[in-house]
Amino acid sequence: MKNLIRNPKVLLSLFLLAIISVACGGSPTVQETGDLKGSIAVSGAWALYPMMTRWAEEYHNIHPAVEFDISAGGAGKGMADALVGAVDIGMVSRDIRPEEEAKGAYWIAVTKDAVFPTINAQNPVLSDLLEKGVTQETFAKIFITAEITSWGQVVGRSDVTDEIHLYTRSDACGAAETWAKYIGGRQDDLGGIAVFGDPGLLNAVVTDHLGIGYNNLGYAYDMTTGEPVDGAFILPIDQNSNGRADEDELLETKAEAIEMVATGKYPSPPARALNLVTNGKPGGIVRDFIGWVLTDGQEFVGEAGYIQLTNEQLGASLEKLQ
Amino acid sequence: MRDVTLKARRVLQPIWFSPVLLPFLNRRVKDRFVGGAFFLITILPFAILLVVIVSLILRTQPILSAHSIGELLTGQKWSPLKGQFGFFPFIAGTFWVTFMALILAVPPCLLSAIYLSEYCRPRISAVAKPLLDLLAGIPSVVYGVWGMVAIVPLVQVFSTHVSKWLGFIPLFSKNNPTGYSILSGGIVLAVMITPFIIAVTCEVLRTVPDGTRLASLALGATKWQTIKYVVLPQTRSGIFAGVVFGASRALGETMAVLMVVGNVAKVPSSIFDPAYPLPALIANNYGEMMSIPLYDAALLGAALVLLIIVLFFNLISTIALRHIIGRSKI
Repeated sequence: MKNLIRNPKVLLSLFLLAIISVACGGSPTVQETGDLKGSIAVSGAWALYPMMTRWAEEYHNIHPAVEFDISAGGAGKGMADALVGAVDIGMVSRDIRPEEEAKGAYWIAVTKDAVFPTINAQNPVLSDLLEKGVTQETFAKIFITAEITSWGQVVGRSDVTDEIHLYTRSDACGAAETWAKYIGGRQDDLGGIAVFGDPGLLNAVVTDHLGIGYNNLGYAYDMTTGEPVDGAFILPIDQNSNGRADEDELLETKAEAIEMVATGKYPSPPARALNLVTNGKPGGIVRDFIGWVLTDGQEFVGEAGYIQLTNEQLGASLEKLQ
Repeated sequence: MRDVTLKARRVLQPIWFSPVLLPFLNRRVKDRFVGGAFFLITILPFAILLVVIVSLILRTQPILSAHSIGELLTGQKWSPLKGQFGFFPFIAGTFWVTFMALILAVPPCLLSAIYLSEYCRPRISAVAKPLLDLLAGIPSVVYGVWGMVAIVPLVQVFSTHVSKWLGFIPLFSKNNPTGYSILSGGIVLAVMITPFIIAVTCEVLRTVPDGTRLASLALGATKWQTIKYVVLPQTRSGIFAGVVFGASRALGETMAVLMVVGNVAKVPSSIFDPAYPLPALIANNYGEMMSIPLYDAALLGAALVLLIIVLFFNLISTIALRHIIGRSKI
């Protein structure tokens, strides 16, 4: 027996057998006993990433045999991966386009969040900005047409000539598309230095005192304190164009922001529903997971700092699963 | 175990030596067959390369029929949603960043390689070489994050000061308020290609026969004179090959560069301008390929252009290397 194991041919065959059996990962299955097992691969929007990791954790606690593999890379990556079958679920933080649906994208709205314009805490005209807010047209002039190039022009003070340092997203993402939609363009129309990823964009704004960018709810506000991330501030949007940032337009804490989005006071876009996309109607373990997300999973939405969809929207999503 | 093989042989030998198979399984046939099989395996990588090129060309057809090649390669506007696909800013950005990296990397690498192969004690080079291999093994993303956190702020401060003094020269003029620039991309790339250039240059310097060096020293030349007038002239094409090898690595580096280079689709005019190299274009936008018409053909066209550039560089390097190897056989 010892000689058998020491024989190199036997060892090699055993080694190969071990590799092959590990490499053939378990495909999602539902066993007879009803205990789910398998693995779900997810990739896509930075916006949904924190929520998805939370959901995956909770779902794993209920069904320990289900493994998750989650990565972020932008909504565009999530869509592309889901359509070619590289992942089971793609996280897409924007509306699905007709061309994508034609290629087989099946989308289900699961939660809601928003994109907020961010500036640096040491901005020279910070107090003016927080007092007056910025209108939608002004944002368009800053981000798209570049008619406004100095901070003084934004708040109407000719003495301030510091130039605006514009930042945007380099990866194909939902946040950029949604923000661009709000100010009347597409992601390609947004000017500025393009940085990779939501955390990257936030970092760029935090390190540049003249910077302006836009971030998702989950990244703009600190998870634990609920305040805007150290070094950043959220620009209030002057929605009624009265030249003042009213009480209900200020966004000083995460709780306020969530409430604004939930009650519909924050415009949609830049608030938007976050979707999970699969290639065709999902089945098996993926369908069970999404079903759980839409029912029991919703209790974690508030804790994670997202906004719940209305009951009608959740109902419509559940319908799509059937 | 021996019983198992004996039993196996008892079963297989009748089949092996049966009148059906035996005529085809004699030693000559096996010999030729093995040679042929190895040949097929060897040409497999080249076949794959050919398949890649052909499939890229085929997938680029839709955009080639809508726009001419000249229009694509020299167009300066990139706006896929409006149907404008000008690759020129990306090709220019790729070359700017690569040349920046070469300018920053080649002189120090050359001098390090000379030190490692001519001056230092064997113990030091025994430690330095594995250390360089370690540098070569660090993932690209790690360099990108380091670049974003450490290099970009430094370049921002540096560029502000330099443009104050030298801003009148267009190469050093500063229109970009941030540190995300060609210089940052060049610095990160230079660090990444250093191990490769040093390794190839060391190998090349080693091909110079010791006798030449000893003869030069015997004639009274100093060590540096020996290196400059005897060793280096012989290895010129090999060093060039090493540099070109580093350049092809720099051309294709994606993740690290796209995190620090600014990703703005305009032809750069200064080293402090942001740029948008071809690999960054493909990596950032392949997610949108599904939804915008002709976009996937455009991105695959960009991939084809990049492939051709890298192949061309590698071809030059191979020819130069063959030149040096041929010489050392004398």
